[in-house]
Amino acid sequence: MRRIALNTFALSLIASPLLAQEGEAASKPGLLALQGGLMFWTLVIFVLVFLVLKSFAFGPITKAVADREQALLDAIEAAKKDRDDAAKLLAEHRAAIEAARGEAQRFIAEARAQAEKMKSDMLEQTHAQQAELLERARRDIESEKTKAIDELRREAIDLALAGASKVIEKNLDDAQNRKLVESYLSSIK
Amino acid sequence: MRFVRLSKLAIATLLFAAPALSHAQDSAAPVQAPAAHATEKAGPPDFITPHISDGSKIDIPSFSMADNFTREIELPKWAPVQIGPLTLDLSPTKHVVMISIAGLLCMLTLILAARSQARSALTGKPPKGFANGIEAMVLYIRNEVILPNVGHHGEGFVPFLLTVFFFILFCNLLGLIPYGATATSNISVTATLAVVSFLVIEIAGMRALGFGYIKTIVYWPSDMPLSIKLPITFIMTPVELLGKFTKPVALAIRLFANMIAGHVVILALISIVFTFGLWAVAPFPVLAATGIMMLELFVAFLQAFVFCLLVSVFIGQLREGAH
Repeated sequence: MRRIALNTFALSLIASPLLAQEGEAASKPGLLALQGGLMFWTLVIFVLVFLVLKSFAFGPITKAVADREQALLDAIEAAKKDRDDAAKLLAEHRAAIEAARGEAQRFIAEARAQAEKMKSDMLEQTHAQQAELLERARRDIESEKTKAIDELRREAIDLALAGASKVIEKNLDDAQNRKLVESYLSSIK
Repeated sequence: MRFVRLSKLAIATLLFAAPALSHAQDSAAPVQAPAAHATEKAGPPDFITPHISDGSKIDIPSFSMADNFTREIELPKWAPVQIGPLTLDLSPTKHVVMISIAGLLCMLTLILAARSQARSALTGKPPKGFANGIEAMVLYIRNEVILPNVGHHGEGFVPFLLTVFFFILFCNLLGLIPYGATATSNISVTATLAVVSFLVIEIAGMRALGFGYIKTIVYWPSDMPLSIKLPITFIMTPVELLGKFTKPVALAIRLFANMIAGHVVILALISIVFTFGLWAVAPFPVLAATGIMMLELFVAFLQAFVFCLLVSVFIGQLREGAH
């Protein structure tokens, strides 16, 4: 009920200038009088502004904001992707460096082993050569010794024969005597 | 520095009042004043009412002391147009001119801002400057005022409500510059805006509720026995109907009264100087008027915001009504 009373009051309040205007129709319009022409122009201009702004201002502004939001989202997405890529790349590089380090370690170890082997081989070879040289020297010495002994023996025989022939002065068959002496010599060997 | 700024403001305020003062002279001059008006009312001439009401003249700046820095231009007078039973006088008036300027400024500002934003969006450069300020306002009104209040599918109402906001804002601000007039301090203008808003609100309600819209007028409580239901319906239906119309009326009156009040206060303060006719009195009213001017600047934004907010709320309320 209060609402009705209030509304009625409000309405009468609003209408009062109009009513008052009707009363003094001849005098100039008051502040609360509605002017048809002004209302018409207000309507026309407002609708015009609305239509123009709707198609040329608010659409583009909203679109620009949406575009910018999208661009930011894209940029964030791209940055995230780049970061992931970089992390992946870093991990790859780290792994590669690790692998390279292992490889180098392996190479060094291999080289060391090879050097070790080479060293031992060379030592062995040297030993073998040395031994061979010694052996050869020994053999040479041996052969030279036998040769010298043989020589000495032949010389001794010759000397003995010459001595014996001088001593005996007996006409003996050289060849037979030689045989005799040789057999003797071999018997004393 | 502060003093310089204050005195600049005071000068601006005086300039604002210059056309009114010129009116004062006009009405004081016995030749121009209507005979009945001048003779009936004794005492100082009323130069506030002519300044805040509509007229067929507009004030433009003049650089001559003799004119009080104001020159009046008589707007063309056209013959009234007969549309059905209505006779419309479509001749341009001061407020028609002001609305047109406000509309043009509105379009210019927003379209330039929109183009600047679109260009920066296209080139991928960060947007800048004035356009960003406009964008911030548009986005604030859209995201914080319209969309939460209108509710579901509020996107369709955004252009209309934003237009309401900026149109009213520019009309309000035009009244604050020297030689300007506040079209929104004219009840015809605010009433038209209110009627348009009313139509938008009700049509939005009809579209959202369909046949259920009739329930927002005819009160029909379905969980009561018929013997109670009938009288209640009988009582409440006029109330509901009145409630529908009070909303736009309140919108119109609120905007109109707010815009007219500040101007009356400023003009009254300045006329204190002339009532006393003493230079010594001048500083106080001028400083006070400067302060009120600041308040008016705030009110210009506030009232545009409030109008837009209330229409959003009304649309939202009516559409939620059935749920």
